[in-house]
Amino acid sequence: MRFSALKIIREGLTGNKGWTPHWRDPEPKSEYDAIVIGGGGHGLSTAYYLAKNHGMTNIAVLEKGYLGGGNVGRNTTIVRANYFLPGNSEFYSHSLKLWEGLEEDLNYNVMHSQRGIINLFHSDGQRDAAARRGNAMINQGDDAILLDREGVRKMLPYLDFDNARFPIYGGLYHPRGGTARHDAVAWGYARGADQRGVDLIQNCEVTGIDIENGKVTGVQTTRGAIRAKKVGMVVAGRSGQVAAMAGMRLPIESHVLQAFVTEGLKPVIDHVVTFGMGHFYISQSDKGGLVFGGDIDFYASYAQRGNLPTAEHVIEAGMTLMPMIGKAKMLRSWGGIMDMSPDGSPIIDRTHIEGLYLNTGWCYGGFKAVPASGWCMAHLMATDTPHEVAARYRLDRFETGRGLLDEEGTGSQHNLH
Amino acid sequence: MRINCPHCGPRDRREFTYQGDALALDRPDPEAGPDVWNDYIHNRDNPAGPTRELWYHETGCAAWLVVTRDTVTHDIHAVELASAVKGAGK
Amino acid sequence: MTDLLAKSPCDGLLPLTIGSVTVTEIAFDAITSLAPFKGQESAVSDALKVQMGAAFPKPNRTTGKAHARAVWSGVGQALVLGPPLAPIPGAAMTDQTDAWTCVALEGDGARDVLARLTPLDLRPSVFKQGHAARTEIAHMGGVLMRTGENRYGLMVFRSMAATLVHDLEIAMQSVAARGRL
Ligand SMILES: Cc1cc2nc3c(=O)[nH]c(=O)nc-3n(C[C@H](O)[C@H](O)[C@H](O)COP(=O)(O)OP(=O)(O)OC[C@H]3O[C@@H](n4cnc5c(N)ncnc54)[C@H](O)[C@@H]3O)c2cc1C
Ligand SMILES: [Zn+2]
Repeated sequence: MRFSALKIIREGLTGNKGWTPHWRDPEPKSEYDAIVIGGGGHGLSTAYYLAKNHGMTNIAVLEKGYLGGGNVGRNTTIVRANYFLPGNSEFYSHSLKLWEGLEEDLNYNVMHSQRGIINLFHSDGQRDAAARRGNAMINQGDDAILLDREGVRKMLPYLDFDNARFPIYGGLYHPRGGTARHDAVAWGYARGADQRGVDLIQNCEVTGIDIENGKVTGVQTTRGAIRAKKVGMVVAGRSGQVAAMAGMRLPIESHVLQAFVTEGLKPVIDHVVTFGMGHFYISQSDKGGLVFGGDIDFYASYAQRGNLPTAEHVIEAGMTLMPMIGKAKMLRSWGGIMDMSPDGSPIIDRTHIEGLYLNTGWCYGGFKAVPASGWCMAHLMATDTPHEVAARYRLDRFETGRGLLDEEGTGSQHNLH
Repeated sequence: MRINCPHCGPRDRREFTYQGDALALDRPDPEAGPDVWNDYIHNRDNPAGPTRELWYHETGCAAWLVVTRDTVTHDIHAVELASAVKGAGK
Repeated sequence: MTDLLAKSPCDGLLPLTIGSVTVTEIAFDAITSLAPFKGQESAVSDALKVQMGAAFPKPNRTTGKAHARAVWSGVGQALVLGPPLAPIPGAAMTDQTDAWTCVALEGDGARDVLARLTPLDLRPSVFKQGHAARTEIAHMGGVLMRTGENRYGLMVFRSMAATLVHDLEIAMQSVAARGRL
């Protein structure tokens, strides 16, 4: 089934009876050429590009819950390519280019909206850092515009420009940044993979990884054993548990990140805006809800729910920046489990076990990475060599200290990135 | 989440700062070699369940605490003073 | 040398009365932090008794009386509020006289006002007279003590004086408004 405007009109006029399920619900086979553990954004895009780019179609995605029930359906949907360090910048640049062609490629409306991101700064030092980051982005071939205070005022008149404690000096504007509908991204990749023959197996938890003589031979699941010579672990916040099945101890700590949404309002916030002096960022969904968040709760957690002090902190920061949001009623808050790495950057690499691959460490920025992560993970699993834009996402960078990608310079502490 | 500080009694989570796994109390020997140090600095058990971690009673008594906490339920099972834990700061 | 004018932290901000609650600034002759060295705790406590008639406080407690009080302020440390102290052997001492904002919150609704500013259990049977806590006061790290039936002492760093008064004022207004309903 292909989506088109014509099809929508025809279905609208005939009672919407002609739609078919977006993907099959197959029984797991006893053997595949490759298995991807985890049906989040990264697992589904990995499967899609394994099939599309590498012709591997006898593969399965094993998901313990339902597709898109993890972080990919819980994030605040910001898509950007404004990284500073070589290693990150080429990867996210590649990802943004994939985003720009994604809807056409998937024939799926992921509501990718390049509404622009403005990272505010509030001091001379922050301005210098923003200018430097902007230059790095331009060098990478992406876009960045340094706005002064008046430039920001023109675009974001609703900010509190009179705040003496956190004066607004300007902002780094990234016009190609924006948002996308998070679960539509998961669904689009799922449908694309399924159409190419990939088995998407839900309610199928991996409980063990079979290894013989240093080679992976398959997995144990709640729906029986499945053999495969290649297995990718793509389970975000659950990376520690799944890797432990292969006897590995990862440089990952799992932390909870919260997000919040208000009642639907008329269009008021046209961009993605981030506060430079407190943990707060915001955008407005197409339904009208103000979607905002801040930092992680700072302690290890698998609870998928956060604590009130962090909610209070985020809302206080928001009120400081744009007091008008105090009039909005908050509808919901939720949490997701982040795979925090020691330098805040991800890992896409082989492991010491032949045929076992690792994709983790996305911290709270893995949604925008979904296309490039799948692209590079598929490349790695199919060819056994890292893709050039993900070549620095090595697991051994922590051991050697070479090639650490610490964007914020906070040092090796998982919860500070 | 409230942490029962041995000095101050039960206090709100916002008075405390989280440091991470209490393995920080078992600092390896300086000559232990790169594998041991890499493991100590970067790798974590990261359990879904009970774990021991270091918290600092920042706006309270300023003591370091070893908190046994469940990462799934956020239940707190035990709180000890890090200074009283064997091997702490050796 | 020029004689500088001494200005208290809450100069121009206090006193303030809203409803049944009043905040006043307290000026101490001296504020000294006192931290006994290992093994010197009782000797230091005895020396303190000699100098100001009050022992070194136990955790979460105060000793002494108004203008000659010692309040526990963290692990192995107390703040002595009132008389300037002569050096006490066996203890680290620091003059912090100008480092703190000290106010008294008094009146029928004082506890309700505080309840809006700290997550502490303030019920009279739990937080009794002579009790103290290092805790958050409107997100500022501070020292809180109950010095009377309806009287509390609050301390935050000097630079936070205006914020403390601002937060107290808002809390006092809310409590007074509630009272009128
Ligand atoms: C509140 C919040 C806001 C965020 N905001 C942004 C943002 O604005 N921009 C951005 O770029 N990123 C953001 N992120 C981060 C982003 O969502 C994640 O980095 C990314 O989704 C993680 O990859 P994933 O989609 O593959 O993870 P998930 O969707 O969590 O996928 C992992 C899957 O693995 C499955 N799984 C786990 N264990 C097993 C097992 N044993 N067997 C089988 N399956 C298993 C899980 O059920 C899950 O479905 C945010 C995250 C949160 C929580
Ligand atoms: Zn304490």
